[in-house]
Amino acid sequence: MKFGITQIVAALLLETIALCLIASFRFISIESTVALLIFNLLFFSLIFQLDGAFIKKLSLLTLGNIIGLAWNFFLQLFAAAGVMLFGEIFNLFYAVSQPIFNFMWIISFWSVSLSSFTPKNMREMVKA
Amino acid sequence: MIIEFSKAILLFTAVLVTAYLVRHYIFTLAVLRKIKKPHSATCVAESKYEPTVSILIPAHNEENVIGRLLQRICELTYPSDKLQIIVVDDASSDHTGQIAEEYSKRYERITVLHRDKEDGGKGKPAALNFGLKHAKGEIVLCFDADYYPQRDIVEKLVKVFADPVVGAVQGRPVVLNEAQSVVTRLVTLERISGYRIDQEARDVLGLIPQFGGTVGGFRRRVMEELGGFDESILAEDTDLTFQIYLAGFKVRYASDAECYEEAVADWKAYWRQRHRWAQGHMQVCFKNALRVLKSKKLNLKEKLDGLLILHVYFLPVITLLAFFAGISLFILGASQFVSTLWLLMPLALYSFVGNFAPFFEVGIGAYLDGRTRIHWLLSLLLFVYLYNILICTKAFFDLLASKMLGKNRVYWAKTHHFGNGNCYIGN
Repeated sequence: MKFGITQIVAALLLETIALCLIASFRFISIESTVALLIFNLLFFSLIFQLDGAFIKKLSLLTLGNIIGLAWNFFLQLFAAAGVMLFGEIFNLFYAVSQPIFNFMWIISFWSVSLSSFTPKNMREMVKA
Repeated sequence: MIIEFSKAILLFTAVLVTAYLVRHYIFTLAVLRKIKKPHSATCVAESKYEPTVSILIPAHNEENVIGRLLQRICELTYPSDKLQIIVVDDASSDHTGQIAEEYSKRYERITVLHRDKEDGGKGKPAALNFGLKHAKGEIVLCFDADYYPQRDIVEKLVKVFADPVVGAVQGRPVVLNEAQSVVTRLVTLERISGYRIDQEARDVLGLIPQFGGTVGGFRRRVMEELGGFDESILAEDTDLTFQIYLAGFKVRYASDAECYEEAVADWKAYWRQRHRWAQGHMQVCFKNALRVLKSKKLNLKEKLDGLLILHVYFLPVITLLAFFAGISLFILGASQFVSTLWLLMPLALYSFVGNFAPFFEVGIGAYLDGRTRIHWLLSLLLFVYLYNILICTKAFFDLLASKMLGKNRVYWAKTHHFGNGNCYIGN
């Protein structure tokens, strides 16, 4: 059985995504894993349908997972620091703000990925 | 007791929000699937269909934009002997009436109707009903004064009426003054999702595309049977959509019929416009929800879609309630429900950013329009969503107060137009 370079790279990228999911569940929180899963679902089901190279899409998906993992890791550090500084009340702020913060990286990265697949020719403002 | 109540609110909201989220996800997939399929051949009967058409233009203090629209209307490619143009000068205190009269002198097919301050100025539905009495065309099209249509828009809109079951048609508004401010850019995103995906998907899936009150039209006979627009309702267009479906007709969406509009350019104007839309939509819901549910002329998926459309402006209010329920559960120590809140909040945010469309729907709509940089503004829709929560909550309580005080009429807050899109038109 012969594998081309594309297949090997794709397998490595998929492995990285799986590792990100496991790491988020094992070392951060179930909420961070849910956020990554939402991102993967939206990316896979929508962006993979658009025109563009498969490997480019998979690379962006992997990069998104790494960013998401890092984002949630720093968010957890931020929460721990907040509790130390402000006490338990910070947990309330964290519970409410965490989804909004997660929402920001998901949307930002998803949008930038989308724009990289959009054809360059902008439509005219006014058609005659 | 408080804990049980809060739990119930959270659960109810989560189910409702998920239903809307799934709906929009299906819409996005449906449109993506449609563009992958080759275009179906245009029906010959549709392309040859050329009925008589009346164009209604209600105008209240629109001197900045009315001339631009009338000039364009005179350039339409539809046979002029089949076209009647009616401008309703609705008690304007500026030069709207004079400008329209000047065009009327130059072009015979333009009729200007003036309403004085006693009868006029009571809102768009009243002005449209007044104009309708003078309309003679089989099909009546409506354009707001700040709109700027394509030259062949009439052909594109009326062709769907070749099918006798079609009662109304809706075209696609495109923001003309997009570059003016952040607000106009965000409104552009809302418009893209609302029309490029939402309306198109509803048309493709055989659901309920909405008549939007402008860049669209209806069969005059059907409108006369329905008794005209309901003047007590602020969202007369949405009301008409449901009246048409309840009477056994359909609304179609013509995505190629583009018309350029001036979007609101600041947050204050955005608030006024959306407050009116929210209040009007809620009125339509109170009026029609039960009728939709009981109707024998609507199939199951139309009923389901209809009910989701009717209740959409209540969702931000319910989400706000759920937010407070989540916080109270946290404070009362029911910590397991905080995780429910966690799941609920992103779902709500994803579902209702902007004009009640999730970010992925807006993004895909922009992609299909060939847009690149506008995607980068998607995150800002979060603030529009938070703003919409306040708008819808205020609209809900205002409507509740007017009902409790026995006031049947609500105030029509007019959107002011400044002709800000004029610089983008190469006339």
